[in-house]
Amino acid sequence: MATKIEVSPCGDAALRVTVVGTGTDDVWRAVHRLAGWLNRGAVHPTVSAVPTYDAVLVEFDPYHATAEAITSHIDFWDAMPGEDEPVRSGVIDVPVLFGGDAGPDLGWVADVIGEPVARVVELVCAKEHLIRCLGGPAASAMTDGPDFPVPVPRLATPRLRVPPGAISVAGRQLVIGPVAAPSGWRQIGRTPLDILRTDAEAVVPYRPGDRVRFRPVGQVAYDGLLGTPMRYRHDD
Amino acid sequence: MTDRPELYVESATAAVVTDLGRTRGPSRGLAVNGALDQFAARAANALVGNAPTDPLIETTGFGLTLRPSHDVLMAVTGAPSEPAVDGRPYPAWTPLSVRAGETVRVGISDAGLRAYVAVHGSFDVPRLMGSCAPDSMIEFGTPVTSGAPLSLFRSHPPLVNRRFGATVFDFGIPRDIGRVPGVLDVIDGPDAAEFGSGLQRLFDSRYTVTPRINHVGLRVAGYVPRRSAPGEVLSRGVPVGAIEAPTGDELLVLMRGRGITAGYPVLAVLTSRAQDVAAQLRPGQEIRFRRTTAAAATAAYLERRRLLDRIALRARTAFAALS
Repeated sequence: MATKIEVSPCGDAALRVTVVGTGTDDVWRAVHRLAGWLNRGAVHPTVSAVPTYDAVLVEFDPYHATAEAITSHIDFWDAMPGEDEPVRSGVIDVPVLFGGDAGPDLGWVADVIGEPVARVVELVCAKEHLIRCLGGPAASAMTDGPDFPVPVPRLATPRLRVPPGAISVAGRQLVIGPVAAPSGWRQIGRTPLDILRTDAEAVVPYRPGDRVRFRPVGQVAYDGLLGTPMRYRHDD
Repeated sequence: MTDRPELYVESATAAVVTDLGRTRGPSRGLAVNGALDQFAARAANALVGNAPTDPLIETTGFGLTLRPSHDVLMAVTGAPSEPAVDGRPYPAWTPLSVRAGETVRVGISDAGLRAYVAVHGSFDVPRLMGSCAPDSMIEFGTPVTSGAPLSLFRSHPPLVNRRFGATVFDFGIPRDIGRVPGVLDVIDGPDAAEFGSGLQRLFDSRYTVTPRINHVGLRVAGYVPRRSAPGEVLSRGVPVGAIEAPTGDELLVLMRGRGITAGYPVLAVLTSRAQDVAAQLRPGQEIRFRRTTAAAATAAYLERRRLLDRIALRARTAFAALS
């Protein structure tokens, strides 16, 4: 594996483990494999890992594990032959009402990338978006963005509240937000599906490695789908 | 009165049932949340013979008044305050035997912000990923509201005649246990180098706690170091206690309700002990940041955890001998 691992302290109860490499996908896969290994209790059951793009935040209780022990375990993991276990990859179909109140920034995004609104929707729905990580707030799905010609700048002043189910873009990323929250991303649409479930351990129906396929719907279809639980395509 | 013991809430303003936090949350995209003063929460449960992760009450900024339906064993810790039972003051940081129908008033003094109330046997509340800790983002949790009862798993027979008071219990707790120092120990963050010489001024400056403080973050006014390195930062997991320097004239100190990822560089990180201190800071309070090492912070943390182990052991031994 053409990667290198760097560990830096993050206070007395966390470490930042950065994977350095040339291929973005290789780095991301290594980050999620390492986090999975740590979350399965490889060092200690109390050690937990938050994987993102090129880094894993490793949190621990200094009463049960030390930074030194975790670091040496990670060195050992890095030296293990990289059996590339397949990352789980389910597909989730997500109906989206674009523009209007559901996507107040759609027209603005169209102007920025220099395409008509219809073409923006086409680009968003053209491919399956890979979920790279779960992020704040509340297990939002952070995915690779649509194939826009230029990155999309964030809002100068974040909105105090975007609604649950908002589909937003910024930079070269796209995010699906399960809950109402403040956001500086550009909201282009909204899904009628229910994403969050606090009566289930998983809380959200997706994991990093899953793929999302967006499908444009009109207001009538949107209203008809309101409250339908989000789930995998193969769960039919 | 029902057979099931209950704690009736006569008055509460900003109180919740919480625990040490949703430790499995961050790996699934959720904040850890839980008691902001972890030491005080652990101590309260230890003092009544509970498990460290048992649910307990956290009250912020305002006191509360409780009335048990059965005889119970309670402990109040956190912000320096003396609980009162039917108007008579009793010490905090020690087990408190309360009879059915008596009124317990828990105040918050100006010397702190949060108090914890543990009850032997703990509360019967819903959990998510094994934790009852409230999460405001996903609207999960059990608030403590005036006029509502909280279900308890067990009652506890009166341990002692209260005329002998707290002298019966001596768990070796230091007298200054609830004192809130004005100095927060921090460790250089993983992105400290990006701030160049500005980092040193973090330790030379005085800061004032603003009114914008909650379980997500604490904003402090004062000198804000600027990054010398330009460019966007990739979203990464940020630890609880991270000190971020967004634009503006306030530093942001992340607390346990923080979103787990952020695109800001991490200047420095509060030690675990300093996070407990930060939980007790009040608006207007002046603070300083003091640089320490991870090794020194861990040594200080382990000393406190061993104190908790001793309290828990002595409490269990005392209750076993008395019952």
